Amino acid sequence: MGFLRLQNVSKGYGASGSRTEVLRDINLAVEKGEFVAIVGFSGAGKTTLISLIAGLIKPDSGMLTLNDLEITEPGPDRGIVFQNYSLLPWLSVFENILLAVESVNPNWSAEKKKQHVEKYIAMVNLTAARDKKPRELSGGMRQRVSVARALAMDPQILLLDEPLSALDALTRATLQDEISRIWLEDKKTIVMITNDPDEGIYLADRIIPLTAGPNATLGPSFQIEIPRPRDRKGINHDPHFKQLRREIIEFLLNSKGQRQTAITKKLILPDIEPDDLAIPRATFGDRTKPVRRREIKRVEADA
Amino acid sequence: MNEAVANVEAVMEKAPTIPQKPPVRTNRETDERLRKIFSAIGAPLISFAIFLFIWSQVASHVKVNFGSIPGPMAVWKQAGVLWDAHWAERQKETEFYQELAKRRADFLAKNPGQTFPDIKYSGPPTYFDQICTSLETVFTGFLIGSLIAVPVGIICGLSRPFFNAVNPFIQIFKPVSPLAWLPIVMIMVSALYNPPHPWFEKAFLSSAITVAMCSLWPTLINTALGVASIDKDYLNVARVLKLGWWKQIWKIILPSALPYIFTGLRLSLGVGWMVLIAAEMLAQNPGLGKFIWDMFQNGSSDTLAQIMVAVFTIGFIGFALDRLMLLLQRLVSYDAKAI
Amino acid sequence: MNSKLSSNFRETTRRQFLKTTAKGVLAGAALGALHPLALRAAGVTVEKPVLKFGFIKLTDCAPLVIAKENGYFDDEGLYVSLEAQANWKILLDRVISGELDGAHMLAGQPIAATIGIGTKANVITPFSMDLNGNGITVSNDLWKQMQEADPKLNVPQPPHPISASALAPIVKRNKDAGTPLKFGMVFPVSTHNYYLRYWLAAAGISPGYYINGDTTGTTNADVLLSVTPPPQMPATLAQGTICGYCVGEPWNEQAVFKGIGVPVITDYEIWKNNPEKVFGVTEEWAGKNPQTLIAVVKALIRAGQWLDASHDNRVKACRILSQPQYVGADEKVIANSMTGTFEYQKGDKRSLPDFNVFFRYDATYPFYSDCIWFLTQMRRWGQIAEAKPDEWYAATAKKIYRPEIYLQAAKALIAEGKIKSTDVPETDGFKAPDSNFIDGITFDGRKPNDYLNQFKVGLKD
Repeated sequence: MGFLRLQNVSKGYGASGSRTEVLRDINLAVEKGEFVAIVGFSGAGKTTLISLIAGLIKPDSGMLTLNDLEITEPGPDRGIVFQNYSLLPWLSVFENILLAVESVNPNWSAEKKKQHVEKYIAMVNLTAARDKKPRELSGGMRQRVSVARALAMDPQILLLDEPLSALDALTRATLQDEISRIWLEDKKTIVMITNDPDEGIYLADRIIPLTAGPNATLGPSFQIEIPRPRDRKGINHDPHFKQLRREIIEFLLNSKGQRQTAITKKLILPDIEPDDLAIPRATFGDRTKPVRRREIKRVEADA
Repeated sequence: MNEAVANVEAVMEKAPTIPQKPPVRTNRETDERLRKIFSAIGAPLISFAIFLFIWSQVASHVKVNFGSIPGPMAVWKQAGVLWDAHWAERQKETEFYQELAKRRADFLAKNPGQTFPDIKYSGPPTYFDQICTSLETVFTGFLIGSLIAVPVGIICGLSRPFFNAVNPFIQIFKPVSPLAWLPIVMIMVSALYNPPHPWFEKAFLSSAITVAMCSLWPTLINTALGVASIDKDYLNVARVLKLGWWKQIWKIILPSALPYIFTGLRLSLGVGWMVLIAAEMLAQNPGLGKFIWDMFQNGSSDTLAQIMVAVFTIGFIGFALDRLMLLLQRLVSYDAKAI
Repeated sequence: MNSKLSSNFRETTRRQFLKTTAKGVLAGAALGALHPLALRAAGVTVEKPVLKFGFIKLTDCAPLVIAKENGYFDDEGLYVSLEAQANWKILLDRVISGELDGAHMLAGQPIAATIGIGTKANVITPFSMDLNGNGITVSNDLWKQMQEADPKLNVPQPPHPISASALAPIVKRNKDAGTPLKFGMVFPVSTHNYYLRYWLAAAGISPGYYINGDTTGTTNADVLLSVTPPPQMPATLAQGTICGYCVGEPWNEQAVFKGIGVPVITDYEIWKNNPEKVFGVTEEWAGKNPQTLIAVVKALIRAGQWLDASHDNRVKACRILSQPQYVGADEKVIANSMTGTFEYQKGDKRSLPDFNVFFRYDATYPFYSDCIWFLTQMRRWGQIAEAKPDEWYAATAKKIYRPEIYLQAAKALIAEGKIKSTDVPETDGFKAPDSNFIDGITFDGRKPNDYLNQFKVGLKD
């Protein structure tokens, strides 16, 4: 059973002949209330994966279900926070979130909608910037609005597509704590894509690596047993954290490395036996040509 | 170590404090400001003065078959003449209506129950009446054109097949001059617009429709472009929120394309104003175009000066209209990079 | 409004201001003269008091302008606005489409419209606006050539009328060289076209035919005639695109004034007291507004009478017409032809009191024979494609020219004492046979086909 289930999902692009298989045989089961992080290289197909779950694109084969209902098209029950935030630049923060609320709950009264929006603005600590337009906000603030908008839709599952990749390290840290705090309040089901294993381990209940593309597939799932609330400073010394981190990175690098050891070309190297310079030899004459290894072997075999 | 410190301290105590002078603008800063003022205001003023000088020289020295070309002073004088003629005509009109009111009262007193017909003053339109007529006509034509161009542009931007179907017509009709459209429009209006109580003069309609036909292309093309180049992310937001197609257009597509639409509108208004003058000359709409053609037909010695007054008027009004649209454009623009 | 600008600037404007204020007083007085909707002698009211008439900026629109400015329209209870039109075609189209209630028209326009040349609509005329009023001007260059060809012309005051025979050798020379002379006139059915052709044909020059579907009228032509709008004529003459034109005033005097051409003959000398402009309305409009039309004709007759009443009136008329919303040309250019003189070569100013006739010689009566003359000329040059019997000419004329409306208006004016009964001719609509043509041929309106057969140049019956 699983709240969100992906079964043998594959997705590729391009016409037959020049086809790229981005994802192959993705299998995933996420429980209600779980925080799952998927970590992988850039360009591996993480956005494709999250778009499939959101319903923005359709898989070539396999099935995705949410609550046993097949996912066929996007909807507010899967709230997605885009990598580029996707805030409408002509609307203020309040209006951006209001748009989402109105679409999901058209029958509410204006007052109720207003309160709902303001609750979520407060949740992400942006009450002061309520009437500002996106161009007046910093990257971190915009991301928070995006998260608030997704949450205001009251989705069944929250999808975060590399939400913090475009931010500097310090803002990232702040926002990671924000996300953690928000999740603790609501206990929403979250699937987060990230390229930072540390982030994944810090925030999630479970972390799953995505192998390098093409034909990316999900690796083994690693349960994170670090108790919450997690302390940023302390976690660096936690042995479980360190072990997890090592395993994940090893797996990822291996998956990438395995690809690279595939033999694509055969090179024939010269089979010359190097001279042993320790043996004294005459300075003049008697300079023999280099000995080839195959010749040495033959001599031994005969002897 | 300690002695040196004590010495230094003693010296420091004795040293007189340097009085602080208030900050003085350096020569370089003043130069900078002067240069900026000169560039913004001085340069145009100087070039305008040079233009006036060259013009008056050409006017006094070049002789044409029809007398001489009017110089700046002659043109200014004509502008004054037109101004006075306007007020004189207004005076006549006021007197006429006063008389008419007396007539009406008289008539109704003697014939209670009958209606006194609606009489309007029948004097010729003054220069400023003509300017107003031209402005009314251009805005009507612009409105008609925009009401067609914006919806069609939106559909073109949303649907590639539709755009491919419409594009050949756009390309063929876009370069057609107003003077080529006008006879067709006049014939159609003549034949089709025959209501018992017409609201509009046929000449007005012909001019406005011609303006619409020539000026709708920039808006249409820009709207299509704006809608077609909408950021895919916004459309994804719309999909996730499951917005209906009307809401999509109204809340996402139109606001996103608005800067493009306004650019198109601004271009359209400029084109429309140019087209209007030509259209009025033939369609006989009593505006600036007709003024120019009538003055030309007069062939009097004031003709060239009057036509030049009209040329400058047309130029200034066109400039003002452009600024107006630019202002509106700025109001609806958002910084597209700051998503 | 009194600024500190120098008096120089304000002089013209002050004069204009006073002029227009005076007119305002006059208009007010005119309004006061007669209550617009008072029951008049006959106890009738007009169907449509607010009217818009069109005109072209030529001096013979004077009756319309004077009728408005002197308050004659007001007296009849009409509120008329006059709007200048861009050219004759647009004017005719707008009358037919109803945008204009009526207009100052070329005599040929109602005729051509009714018989279907150029357009098809029933246009009638109850009022002839004037007699004479045109001239033929040639370029300075052509005049010099004419003077070389005919030394009689090479004097400050050559004998008049100057026939086109002086032109004949030049025409032949140019035609043989492959560059025939080009002349301009204002409209294919304009009186100017017909008088120019008459003048050329009288000297044996062929002005071209409208046959075999040729709408430009240049088949078999010795000179090429083309349509040019009047205001552009001086310019095209100066450029050399045309070497002569036939047009109304002020365009002939403009050419002399600006030194770019020489008027050689007026249509008065081609056909003494010839019909020129008419006031035209559509038959439909006349049917819907009969009383209005009679009122309009009454005002126009009074205006014609005023114009011919005295030299003083003519001077006043010149001043009125020189306003920019009417003819707009300089006053002295208009005065050159409207006050009893006409200037030919520069300095050759001759007395020509009948250059414009607005009322004398029964100028305002719409004679059938005038209409028939134009029909004969249309047949002569091929605009009417087939020969027609005499009865057709008479019947067509009766459809277009409406002296019965004129007579109703005239009778009302006689009853009001505004005109004398002797001012109205007793006639069956046909003038007596007339031989006052430059080539001496007699025109009898009752026998149009015989008339056509008398011409050397032109299609016969």
